[in-house]
Amino acid sequence: MSEELPAEDLLARVARQDVAALSELYDRYAPRVYGLIAHILPSRDAAEEILQKVFVRLWIESPSLSQERRSVVAWLVVTAREAAVDRLRALRKRVLNAALQGPGVIARKEVLGGPKSKAAVLRSSAVIFTAKPLEGKSAAIEPDPADRARTLWPGAFPSAWLPQPKEISLIDDRLVLLHKAINQLPKPQRQALELAVLGGLRESEIAAEMGEPLGKVRSSLRAAVTFIKHRRRAVCGTWAANI
Amino acid sequence: MGCQHLEELYELWLLGALSEQGSLDLREHLGRGCPHCLARVREAMETVYVLGRAPKPARPHPRVKSELLRQISRQAAPNR
Repeated sequence: MSEELPAEDLLARVARQDVAALSELYDRYAPRVYGLIAHILPSRDAAEEILQKVFVRLWIESPSLSQERRSVVAWLVVTAREAAVDRLRALRKRVLNAALQGPGVIARKEVLGGPKSKAAVLRSSAVIFTAKPLEGKSAAIEPDPADRARTLWPGAFPSAWLPQPKEISLIDDRLVLLHKAINQLPKPQRQALELAVLGGLRESEIAAEMGEPLGKVRSSLRAAVTFIKHRRRAVCGTWAANI
Repeated sequence: MGCQHLEELYELWLLGALSEQGSLDLREHLGRGCPHCLARVREAMETVYVLGRAPKPARPHPRVKSELLRQISRQAAPNR
């Protein structure tokens, strides 16, 4: 069996406008990228559209990305999450505006958040997105530039921030252990983290969604990421972690 | 200004979970080229990657790939 070409070599070919190389990167990584996007966005159409946009962006940015030989899959996952969350926020804003204009007091309460049963916390975002107008094609819904400015970096984040391929390869080899660590988090921390990672919510929005004080949510999020960070260092480091 | 107080924030910042003011403070600090923070942001990216890999892979419809290749072939063609 022939050995798989490193993704970074394929990216160098993509930078030279090699469509076959992009096709190979797509075959290799689209399922994991799409799995993430489809978890964030409420409709299949929107998820597929974002998936396509992410790979088009890879094509466009390949000349600069390939120069530093940073991890391609890390770029794909981080960029896809960012794009899907931007779209989710735009959808959420559209539903919020529609609810505020309409007579539906219940809908407004649902969108704005407020105390809810714990069981409703994680699924309440999905309740927001069951409205019919959001299904089907969603090409007209674009992220609010103000939202983008508030999150990461103006335009694309610098590729120097991306991990090296060997670091990501180490993580991929230990992904099961690392995901086990996520499941070890206390439930409120895991819920808060999930609302941030897959719900695209900020601290204050998570607090409203969970019906918890902002300070408590802030502490939960910091504790959760610190735990995952330490586990990652341990699992990918030179000493064995007791997980 | 030291950056110890930012230690817990890089991952949340990359996730877009911080408040507007928190994001702006960190962005401004990074914009000044702090080498410690740049290294930590790179490390935080690894944690964000781990979190982003939590959902199970899923197979997109084959039409997405055909449309993608059609779109980029159109872009590539004039440059050949």
